[in-house]
Amino acid sequence: MKTLARRTLVGLLARIGRTAETVARHAGELTLLAIRVAVATLTGRVALRDVLIQLQSIGVGSIPLVGVTAVLSGVVTSQQGGYQFTSSIPLYVLGSVVTSSVILELGPVMTAFVLIGRVGARITAELGTMKVSEQIDALHSLGRDPVAVLAAPRLIAGTIAMPLLVGLADFIGVFAGLVAARFSIGLGGESFLFGARLYWHSWDLLYSITKGLVFGFIIPLISVHMGFGTQGGAEGVGRATTAAVVFMIITVLVMDATFPPLFLN
Amino acid sequence: MIEYIDVYKAFDVPVLSGVSLTVETGETLSIVGPSGTGKSVLLKTTNGLLVPDRGDVRIDGHSVYGSDGNTLQQIRRKVGYVFQYAALFDSMNVFENVVTGLPDGEARRARSPEVLRKVCDALEDVNLDPGLILWKVPSELSGGMRKRVGLARAIVGRPEILLYDEPVTGLDPVNTATISRLILEIRERTHVTSIVVTHDIEQALEISDRVALLTHGRLRFVGTPAEFRASEDPVVRAFADRRAAAEVALGMVEKETEEVEEE
Repeated sequence: MKTLARRTLVGLLARIGRTAETVARHAGELTLLAIRVAVATLTGRVALRDVLIQLQSIGVGSIPLVGVTAVLSGVVTSQQGGYQFTSSIPLYVLGSVVTSSVILELGPVMTAFVLIGRVGARITAELGTMKVSEQIDALHSLGRDPVAVLAAPRLIAGTIAMPLLVGLADFIGVFAGLVAARFSIGLGGESFLFGARLYWHSWDLLYSITKGLVFGFIIPLISVHMGFGTQGGAEGVGRATTAAVVFMIITVLVMDATFPPLFLN
Repeated sequence: MIEYIDVYKAFDVPVLSGVSLTVETGETLSIVGPSGTGKSVLLKTTNGLLVPDRGDVRIDGHSVYGSDGNTLQQIRRKVGYVFQYAALFDSMNVFENVVTGLPDGEARRARSPEVLRKVCDALEDVNLDPGLILWKVPSELSGGMRKRVGLARAIVGRPEILLYDEPVTGLDPVNTATISRLILEIRERTHVTSIVVTHDIEQALEISDRVALLTHGRLRFVGTPAEFRASEDPVVRAFADRRAAAEVALGMVEKETEEVEEE
């Protein structure tokens, strides 16, 4: 019995050690990649054309899905809030609840999830396929830096596009909440906006956009890092893409949890 | 001149165990050997695609691994690399793929008539009709065409050294003969130094000034095709002569069968 307990404990400690080693390795490699992207950008080795192509793909291409997600977030928040407020709390408070929920949390986080699924997974699969089919080696052999050609345009585009997408999601989400409040509990637009203004802090919008900026940098950074590290054919690409999505979701949620104590107190 | 100096490389197991070899300027050297003996690994250490655990590679006296980033980039620009599966960029058409083989300054002027001429010349050099394939993407090309576009990309920048990684693997006999002829033509026209990693011993003996046999991470033989054919070494003979290879294979099968029966 004692031996079994000892083995279990050793196994658990070994697993914790391996996880810590993996986290430390990824953190180090992500930092190095971020530094190399910064150096490539500051030394003018990133082609504007590549950045514009990625802006089109990451930013403009994501607008429809971000719009749908924002509409649904606003509508659901408004309906559920309305359901809870119909008894004792003044209905106009719903305007504040919807606005704060969408701007502080749902807008940035739901947009981040859209970007992870639509853009992050695609970047990892694309770069992973390039890695296993020797296209990254081909870039090296042609004297070109894959960080400047592949990584930097995606990171720059993500960092520019994401705050704009979050701003758009915030606006659409609040508007959808306003419309839903009218139809679900009969709260007029003026009352909704009165409630929204009553508890409004201009800082909230900056907070939301700042989240977008951070997520817009971290999502392409992780997806590029995982793509560059892909090994072993089609199966390896699948494995790397799945791992990248899990890695991005956890990172976004952990960073999201660190925002309130850092910026809302 | 390319010098491999005591090159070691291991992944989980040792792959290269102290390879030293010199390839003279303008020479064509083929590296042959069984699968998994490190031929492609040795080729990839030439321009820094894989970093050796020990040893060095020198190109025209400059150490590939003792150089700073800029010098390494300059060394890489001297070297054209033809990948086993062409490694064309999927998202680019043939024109854009070949343009990446030009130096940065020219590649940025991709729309200029001068660059278009160079790309078309490189495609014609590998017997491809630019009018037919220039704007196609790699997925629209056959395996042989993709290999030739990969070759065009490698030669468009007029490199001093060409590295071929299994240039005829997976090709039919006609395409194999075409690629072999192209390698010879390019060498005669440009006097480029070439290293060819291949499984095709006939091709190696046909196109090379010297042949190197790599087994178990070490060089077992380096010599001219004539010396290769005349070698008494049974392993070399197994590669040079199909009948000898068959005998060696049969011997291995019989030995394994005896071992199984003894067990």
